[in-house]
Amino acid sequence: MATSTMFSQLAGGMIVSIEIFILTLVFSLPLGLLVALGRMSKIKVLSGAIKVYIAIMRGTPLMLQLIVVYFAPYYVFGIAISASFRFTAVIIAFSINYAAYFAEIFRAGIQSIGAGQWEAAQILGYTKTQTFFKIILVQVIQRIIPPVTNETITLVKDTSLSFVLSVAEMFTIAKQIGAREASIMPLMAAGLFYFVFNYIVAFGMDFFEKKMSYFR
Amino acid sequence: MAEVLLEIKNLRKVFEDNAEVLKDFNLSVHKGEVVSIIGPSGSGKTTALRCATMLTPISGGSVTYIGKKAVWEENGKICYAPKAQMKEIKKSFGLVFQNFNLFPHYTVMQNIIDAPIHVDKVPKEEAKKRALELLDRLGLKDKADFYPFRLSGGQQQRVSIARALALQPKVLFFDEPTSALDPELTAEVLKVIKQLASEHMTMIIVTHEMQFAREVSDRIIFMEHGVVQAEGSPDELFNSDNARLKEFVGKLTC
Repeated sequence: MATSTMFSQLAGGMIVSIEIFILTLVFSLPLGLLVALGRMSKIKVLSGAIKVYIAIMRGTPLMLQLIVVYFAPYYVFGIAISASFRFTAVIIAFSINYAAYFAEIFRAGIQSIGAGQWEAAQILGYTKTQTFFKIILVQVIQRIIPPVTNETITLVKDTSLSFVLSVAEMFTIAKQIGAREASIMPLMAAGLFYFVFNYIVAFGMDFFEKKMSYFR
Repeated sequence: MAEVLLEIKNLRKVFEDNAEVLKDFNLSVHKGEVVSIIGPSGSGKTTALRCATMLTPISGGSVTYIGKKAVWEENGKICYAPKAQMKEIKKSFGLVFQNFNLFPHYTVMQNIIDAPIHVDKVPKEEAKKRALELLDRLGLKDKADFYPFRLSGGQQQRVSIARALALQPKVLFFDEPTSALDPELTAEVLKVIKQLASEHMTMIIVTHEMQFAREVSDRIIFMEHGVVQAEGSPDELFNSDNARLKEFVGKLTC
């Protein structure tokens, strides 16, 4: 097989990998914020339930979570699973898994903001919601960029776990071509792709961090 | 006698660990009055101020602003004024913190105008105009576009005074406003407070600056062990026969 054919097939997979990456961030970041707020809630039942959720998400392999989410409709509701559900299952599993990690980062960030900021806002007459969105959140975002960058880079590499549900992302395709051609080259090419992708992600996050350093 | 702006009656504060920090604290402040609260660390003066500004819930007694009850004890339960009234009450006072607590992601100008615009619904242009006047008065006209981290502690504290004044409070509290500052910066903040006093701003100042308290106050309150031990004009207090007060004031002024 020509190298160009291999690359064009890998490129198709690459697009799927990027889709998984972007959709996961789009869903898991806001969900993570909600989970963090729930985790800090004074309502014991809620914060307790969220603790259990975070423990499960962090304590079991993401690969297993992918399989569980994919088969859940059949085992729990007895619904027949269509092949098109694979991609959806990947997005759901990744989103709820990463939301758990992001939630802990958000929580650390929120708790690192001194009580003085809340008190100053309270005295000035801001509501709690106004205080959170106008005063606290921006400072939290500035502080959590480094750990969020870490998670984001891990996510790029974790998209390869989707092979377990045979979603045609890049790693799955690289493995298929590699097996067919009895060559390690496709996997090496995939590795190069992940590296370049992450280099771009790190560069972008670094840029964002600099942008956000207009205050201290 | 001028209108009573703040009335604190039988205020009690017991913390979770059962430490009774305030026992029967009483204070009434008239319009235009400058009252300083002095006393050793742990005497309850900061707690009194935090209870008065509703940052800390009270355990008993009552706090009344402009004749409207803000928080009070009723049959062993702590009650707060209804929402609309509370909003009006909260508008009547401001607080300047020991650590400034400016919003770091806002410029000096944004720090000052954001609450007037988003809380008081003052038109943006009007808020800006008022802010510039305030900055001019406090000698910070050229700092409007600076972020707080680029200012000295004294400048930051003056901005936080401007931020409090922008909401046009009737009473302004200061919680050890110069404790985080070196002597030079302390002087520049005290100068601003003196200026406000000369403009008849009603102020309640918790401070360790004895000489300043003596110069600026109409009345000084000496607190220890959660109660007011002595109260009077600066001259009365500084020439008091009260042995403990003599000891405290003497230690600090020599």
